Formats: sequence, structure tokens, C-alpha cells
Amino acid sequence: MGRYILRRVAQAVGMLFLVMFVLHLLTTLAIQLNGNPALAFFGDKIPSPAQVAAVEQRYGLDDPCYDQPGNPCLGPFVERLGQYAQGDFGTNLRGREVTDIVASAAPNTLRLFVMVTITWLVLGMVLGSVAARWRGSPSDHGIRLTSVLIDALPVFVLLLVYKEIVTVPLSTWSEETFGENSWPPYWFKPSFDAEHPWATVAVPGILLGLAGSAAFIRLVRASQLESYTGDHVRTARSKGLSEGRVVVHHVVRNSSIPVVTAVGLTFAEALSGAVITEGIMNIYGMGGVLWDAVQSSDVGLVLGIVTILTAVTVVVMIVVDIAYAALDPRIRYE
Amino acid sequence: MSAHPSTDQHPATTPASGTPLLEVTDLAVEFRTPDGAVRAVDGLSYRVEAGRTLAIVGESGSGKSVSSLAVMGLLPDNARVTRGSVRLAGTDLLALSRKEHRARCGEQVAMVFQDALAALNPVHPVGYQLTEALRARRGLSRGDARKRAVELLDLVKVPNAKARIKEYPHQFSGGMRQRVMIASALAMDPDVLIADEPTTALDVTVQAQVLRLLAEIQAERQMGLVLITHDLGVVAGVADDVTVMYAGRAVEQAPVVPVYTTPAHPYTRALLRSIPSAAGTGRLPVIPGRPPSPAAMPSGCPFHPRCDAVRDVCRTEVPPLATPAPGRTSACHFAADIMAGREPAAADADAVGPTDADPAAVEHRDGHAMAADQATVPTLDDQDTGGSDD
Repeated sequence: MGRYILRRVAQAVGMLFLVMFVLHLLTTLAIQLNGNPALAFFGDKIPSPAQVAAVEQRYGLDDPCYDQPGNPCLGPFVERLGQYAQGDFGTNLRGREVTDIVASAAPNTLRLFVMVTITWLVLGMVLGSVAARWRGSPSDHGIRLTSVLIDALPVFVLLLVYKEIVTVPLSTWSEETFGENSWPPYWFKPSFDAEHPWATVAVPGILLGLAGSAAFIRLVRASQLESYTGDHVRTARSKGLSEGRVVVHHVVRNSSIPVVTAVGLTFAEALSGAVITEGIMNIYGMGGVLWDAVQSSDVGLVLGIVTILTAVTVVVMIVVDIAYAALDPRIRYE
Repeated sequence: MSAHPSTDQHPATTPASGTPLLEVTDLAVEFRTPDGAVRAVDGLSYRVEAGRTLAIVGESGSGKSVSSLAVMGLLPDNARVTRGSVRLAGTDLLALSRKEHRARCGEQVAMVFQDALAALNPVHPVGYQLTEALRARRGLSRGDARKRAVELLDLVKVPNAKARIKEYPHQFSGGMRQRVMIASALAMDPDVLIADEPTTALDVTVQAQVLRLLAEIQAERQMGLVLITHDLGVVAGVADDVTVMYAGRAVEQAPVVPVYTTPAHPYTRALLRSIPSAAGTGRLPVIPGRPPSPAAMPSGCPFHPRCDAVRDVCRTEVPPLATPAPGRTSACHFAADIMAGREPAAADADAVGPTDADPAAVEHRDGHAMAADQATVPTLDDQDTGGSDD
């Protein structure tokens, strides 16, 4: 097990390095083809060459390689790796530390992810298990129909409907019912409130999770159905174990393996959903920050944030792999 | 449970032979299919007594596994018992609720499945699987369960049991895995053990070891053992009684020795001939054709299209269960003739009645690949023991 984890971590470090390098090549090429991002710093004003040079120097864009299309600019890459290694992720165009921005934006995105994952797991496990256990019953058909409906409803439609139609009457109603300083009015606030991050992120998170849960429900159902017909489940029954115990220890336990993998894989996908959700619900999070950074050609910020997001994703993948190995003993010894 | 597995285990019921532990009567099982109901088991009866082994022999699809799943209450959702009873120590299991039926599984009747790799759960250590039921149902502590798991592995002669209880099924060899499977069925000390093709997935040398082990444990504990197999060859050394199944019915039931010396059904006879022998020369006789699909049963005797002694009556009338000798049954119109090694007289009193008996029979035999030696034996001539001559 130890060796397995070590090997996975080594692979992850390699992957992180590769992602950073590709990212570097792409942004370098963008700078070389599109022109100097330092100009963006001045907006509409026309800077003097000396001012441009000063800005370029400040953001590490003064290397002559940025003027030579096709040059991979390895020098600045190595330099930046050195800075990253020291925990220095640079600043955005306005001089704010990237780490500082991430430190204030990331927790909100993580809150969103926590809500999303909980929603996935709860909806997927409960509905998927019910559908599998009573296969062919009205509840099975209902759940499958629901999952198709969910698929047909993209997250931005869901969020817009919620924000424009549901939130105001609900928060007014809950303010009247529970009082202004109670929790319920915050749950239904139409936009994010930094004072109450959990309460205001909860419903958008649940909605984002709901939008992604359809595939989950089907996955859980399919993998449990496979278990139900499995020989080992028949063996467990032949021992006279109660059906509840058979379901928990032999059906759910065995079918949890693909489900855990799917949580890891969809995590990366949830990031794009987070950009939309954060945008619509005004949540100050990584997705929104990244979106703004790309729009304002803030190279340093984009690189910094994507690197951090990559690191987070890689860590999640390792956790999933370890969970996978813990759940399926056959993996460890391969 | 107790300190040493091999000596102080006593059967729960009295070893007095003659009391059936498990008695299946007129069992019929139907599968619902898109083409309508299909009968997989049709009127099967057998009994197993303490300390005795019943072998159920038949080709795949003959209903032998389905009938034992019915006994265990493990039939798939699209199958149901339409008739009959399964009495376990006097209680009809089929009349019980599913929960009560389940509660008797493992405890009174346990099952060993065919493919141990699939039948054991890949994600739990074998020690856990061996004692899972004991912990869940008898409330054994973790420590006691571990001790019991080691005992069980010792019992089935898995070496180094203490270390191996922590391992997973995929880390065991095929034979060892099947032993684990057997041990897990023995965990609750059942009175009756049903072993469904316990050696099919194993290679021949290991097969013999596992069978011997089963026989030893069975004798030691005075269990009733139902051994399901498609291989009549493995039955001889182990079984006391044999039930031969064909197309969902028991075509012949008898003690083991007479089945080998004087089979009373042409199917049994054909099965015996198709066992390869070391001294065998020439081609191994095979039974021509395939077993009928339960969805398209032939008229009359289900075996008649493949039978080497078929007569006209076989095509139209389902043979009743004959008793050619005490303690033996055979579902053949000509059971007595087959048992005596005679060719059945073609035109019986109860048949439609073609006049020239012998020429018709001979002509008919020529059409069959396996008529070979037996066919030339003249009718009513000698009493030599039919199928045992090779």
C-alpha cells in the first residue's frame, strides 16, 4: 500500500509539471502572437516606451524571447518554477498577490464543491439504490425518468429560474416567518453574502449538484444492479444473512468502487459548472476570478490560478486512487 | 464455536439412518420468459439422510442447479416454484416466509457454489467471509470470529490458516479458493450441505482432493450431502445414491452401485458409456444431439430423440415412473428391459403395435451413432450387465 501511494504521488508530481509546462507554452505562444500583455495594464492610455518597459520588467515579461514566435521561453519558465517553489505566485495586474486572491476566493469554491459532492452522493446513492433494489417498479421508472429530466435541464437554466423566480418570494417569506436574523432568509438570498458564506452557497451548490446528479444516479443504479445478480451476493444470501445486511455489505459496498472513481472524475468537470454558478450567483470564487483574469489578459494570475487548480485536481485524483485501492483489494497488488 | 473443529462436532440430528434430513417432493420450477413460462424442473423428488450422499447428475440445463437454488430460496426473480414441497427436518421451507426461509439457510442447509472466484466477495478478506454469518447472526465477537475462521480453514486443510484469513479470494489458488468456499458453507455447522458442481472449475488432480475432502467432512459430521455434478465419473467413489436428471425430471434414481452395473434408463446407460476409461480404445461414444430446450420439449419421453432404444410409444407417451427393482425408479417405458440389459421389445401390448418387432428395431438402431455394441445383443438372449462392459 505504501509503495502504491508513493508511486501515485510520483506520477502526480510529474503530471503537475507537465500541465504547468503545457500551460507555459500556450501562454507564451499567446503573448508572442497577440502582443504584449503589459499594454493591458494601461487600458486606453498610450504609455511611453519607458513605462511599458517598467511594467514588463515588473511582471517578468521583459525577456526578449516573448518577441520571438516559436521560442519556448524556457528561461522564464524555469525562473517561474523557482518562484512557485518558494511560494511566490506573483501578483495580478493591480499588484495584488495571487496567493492572497486565491486565499480569499478558493474557500468559497471549495464550499461550493462540498455542497455539490454531498448532493451527488446523497441523491446518487439514495435514488440509485432505490431504483436498483426495486428494479422495474414504479419508483425505478420514476427515478429513471427524473434523471433524464435533470439531464435536459442545464445548470444555468436551473440557476436563472431559481434566482429570478424563486429566491425573492422565498427569502421574503422566510424573513417574515422566521425573522430577519435567522438562517432561512440567508439560504434563499439571490446572491452571495461574504458574511454568511455557507448559508448563501448552500442552495446554489445543491442546484449545481442536482444538475450533475443524473449521471450519478444512473451509475449507482447500474453498478448495483450488476452486484445484485452477482454470484457473491447469492453466496451471502445462502449464508442466511438478512437482506439489509446483504445490501449494505455486498451490494452497496461492492458497487461503491466505480462510484468513488466517478466522484473524482467529475470533480474536474464541476469546475466549469462552478464558473457558471459563481457568475450567476455572484459568488466570489476561483471560477469567477479565473474568468476575469482571462478577460483582462492577466497572464500571471491565470497561470497562478490554473497551477493551483491543477494541484488541487491532482491531489483529488490521488485521494480517489487511494480510496479506490482501499475499496478494491485487487488493485493494490497489480 | 468450540475449541477443536475435527473431533467434537456432532451432528445436530440423530445419525440414525432412515430419517430424511431433506426431502424434496414433486418439485416444479418455472421461469418466466418473453416466450411464456418455461418449466426448468418438473416433478423432482429426492431425499437425503444424515450421513449419506446423494449425487444429482445431469447435463447443463437439466434443472439440477435450479432445483437446489429452489431449496435454498435463491431462485432468480423470474423463476418460481409452482408445485411441490421441500421439507427440511420436517418443515416445509416453501411454505415459510422469505425471511424464515432465509434464517434456515446457512444454519440447517448450506450451499457450496461452483465458481469460487465469483461466488466469494472480492472486496472482503476470506476470514471476514467465513465468519460473517456467525458474527451477524450469533453475535460472535471479533476475536472469537477470528479463531473460528482459523479453525474452519484448518478443517478444510488450507495451510497456514492464521495468516491466510487476512487475504482476499484472488490471492488463493483455485483449489484453495474452493476449500474456502466449502469452509464458509460449513461455518454454521449445517445438517445438509448442497454442493453445486464444487469441482468443475478445478483441474483433475485438485478435483480429486476437493472431493475427498468433502467426503471426509461429510462422514465425520454425519451431514447429508447433495452433490450436484455433470460428471458421472466423479460420483462413483463418493455418493451413496444417485439421481440422474434429464430435462428437468429425475429419469433414474437408485443406489450408486446398481446405477453403474445395471442402469435402468437409456440416458444413464449412455452417460456411463461416455466416461473415458484408461483402457479405452477407439472412439469414445457420445450421446448424439443436444438436451432439449425447456421451451421446446419433444412429445412423449423427453429423451426419445437421442435414445438408442427408442420405440414408437416413446414418441407419444410420457413414461411413468417405473420401479424396476426395489429402491430404484426409472422414467422409461422399458425400464425393466434396460436394467436387464435386454433390448426392449418394440411392439408392446400398450404400444400402437407394429407387427414385425425385430426388423423394425434393428433398422432403427442403425440410424444411431452409438448403437454400436449393445445393439447387436439379441433380444432376450443373455442377462449380462448392460452398460458396464467398457
